[in-house]
Amino acid sequence: MGILTRVTRNIWRKKTRSSIVILTVCLALTLLIVLPPSINERATITQSAVNSLVDYNNDVTSSVTLSATEIQCEYGYDINPSLFGTGPIYFANGLMNASMYNELVSIPDVATVIPIFEDLVTANRSYEIYGVPLGNSSDFKDPSIMPSNITAGRNLQIGDSGVVVVDDVTAKNYSLSVGSSFDVLGRNFTVVGIEAWSPAQGYCVTMNLEDAWAITNTTGQATKYLVFVDNVDSVNSVVTRIQSLDPKLQISSGALQLNSVSGLQSQLSELTNSDQSTLSSIQSTGAAEICLAIAAVVVTVLFMMLFSVRERTKEIGTLKAMGATNGVILGQFMLEAILLCLIAVVIALAISKTVLPTLSSLLLPMPVEIGPGLAPYPNGTMYLQPNTVGYSKTLILPGHETNFLAASITPQSMLLAVGVALLLGALGSLYPALKAARTKPAEAMRYE
Amino acid sequence: MSDLVLKIEDLTKVYKLGKRDVQPLTNLNLDVKKGEFTAIMGPSGSGKTTLLNIIGCIDKATSGKVLIDDIDVAKLPESKLYKIRRDKIGFVFQNFNLVPYLNARENVELSMELAGKFQGQRGERANEVLATVGLSGREQHRPQRLSQGEQQRVAIARALAKDPAIILADEPTGNLDVTNKREIVKLLSDLNQKQGTTIIMVTHDEQVAMQTHRMLTLRDGKISEDKVCGAASLDNQPSEAIEA
Repeated sequence: MGILTRVTRNIWRKKTRSSIVILTVCLALTLLIVLPPSINERATITQSAVNSLVDYNNDVTSSVTLSATEIQCEYGYDINPSLFGTGPIYFANGLMNASMYNELVSIPDVATVIPIFEDLVTANRSYEIYGVPLGNSSDFKDPSIMPSNITAGRNLQIGDSGVVVVDDVTAKNYSLSVGSSFDVLGRNFTVVGIEAWSPAQGYCVTMNLEDAWAITNTTGQATKYLVFVDNVDSVNSVVTRIQSLDPKLQISSGALQLNSVSGLQSQLSELTNSDQSTLSSIQSTGAAEICLAIAAVVVTVLFMMLFSVRERTKEIGTLKAMGATNGVILGQFMLEAILLCLIAVVIALAISKTVLPTLSSLLLPMPVEIGPGLAPYPNGTMYLQPNTVGYSKTLILPGHETNFLAASITPQSMLLAVGVALLLGALGSLYPALKAARTKPAEAMRYE
Repeated sequence: MSDLVLKIEDLTKVYKLGKRDVQPLTNLNLDVKKGEFTAIMGPSGSGKTTLLNIIGCIDKATSGKVLIDDIDVAKLPESKLYKIRRDKIGFVFQNFNLVPYLNARENVELSMELAGKFQGQRGERANEVLATVGLSGREQHRPQRLSQGEQQRVAIARALAKDPAIILADEPTGNLDVTNKREIVKLLSDLNQKQGTTIIMVTHDEQVAMQTHRMLTLRDGKISEDKVCGAASLDNQPSEAIEA
């Protein structure tokens, strides 16, 4: 029989009161266990989203600045359902022939004309053939025509022929890897790189334009021309000249894009601000709730122990009359509170894993807002209306993954929770225990 | 060392009650020899309990000397008084003051635990003193399952367990019926006679006081009467005689 026996007996003797204290402390400790990982997760997601938005904004700006002298011309989508799936090659945009190339080159102030070839998916083929010119460095004036997110192997480079870069979904569908041989419309290509699939690019096999022409038997033709002019001032006059060649041509230019981009940028900026304010809201709400939980534990323990000390004044007097030191009295009351908190934290840890997602969403703001113009795709990618601005890079906005909000309680956080519970138990019981220890035995004996 | 276990010289106690000074004890002198069984009587407010509390080191004297085994406890700070309470004093209270969530043996062991005795010694000694007070076989019972007389016996066993220099009993029969009152007084008397335990007992009951060696009467904070008693066996007294 020692101090621990006395403490446990007393807890057991006051079962109802002890249970109420354990329950209250348990609820508060559950918050303390659940909130930090949830806040951390949400803060990470939100910060990451903010970073993505800022990067995206920068990318858009630099891309448009780069292509300020660029004019893109193509035929619009003119889908003929009767054609779909009937042949090996399907040109959704309509083809522009070699004479169009010559006409474009002959327009004054035009510096370079880059043909792009792109067919579409057919019933027999679940990927597009995308031909890009790889003849010389001027063909790379618009880097966005090239595969942009190589995850294995390498990108296409000047002089490449007989090689392709495929997106990872197509690679999976056709069991391809870097170095694989791939039959495209009867010709063997070697896979030199795998790029990440993106909604803007779609399922796509990218190769040298010459190769694409050869296998599709469309030499000299293009689905899109990139026209670069000598200086920004000439863009409008060149656009007018191109439009006069064929009114059906859809023309977009860097200058036109700039207008759209300013709208996009303000939209991005709005989203960034919104996410930043969400981030600070998550942090301040979480911090307030943590403080409240800490206060709840301390106050509960404090009042319970004050009540207990008052109720057991005579027992304290008796113990002191028997020669108990202040330390023994202090220890007994603090140990009682600490033991109650220990029981509470064990229960709190047991239930935290189950209630974490629910509590987390009840107590904290959602991390990332989906703003106007943003459409969520699987795996957390967001597609930001690329067609309207002629910019086709996918925005990766975290927070919408399938495993979204999967914060977990680690062994470290469990240990921390136990430590915090012991500390709060000690803190809450310190004043009542000191009060008990300092009780004058004669006064305690007189207490009724 | 003298044969006095307690020597009190010019003991005065003053305390504040609101704005008023109350002086329950005034220049009180008292000697108690080892093995003496002393009763303190007096009307309510005469300072009996205050005197007992000062002897038991749970209250401080305002002035004067209180020597227990030649140690002047009136001069000791609180940080040292607990040792005197622990080693020299055994308390028996009117309301027994047993710890309700401990059984009889654990209550007895508690006083020894506080005195720093090892667990092995404690168990053996607890059984021994419980047998002495006639509670063999009741060791595992908690206070609420014991009669009032049995509870007071546990309290006496608890006081006795650590071999104190003095047992201070504050109206130990005050809450007991006639039969239990007689048995408790007899038990204290037997302990005093057979084991030579020094007992100072506060009581309102003259018949109970008559069973001791010496009866002191307190009045206005001083000992007004110091009378030697017969300490005759209670067995020879009719029950009515010790009824309040």
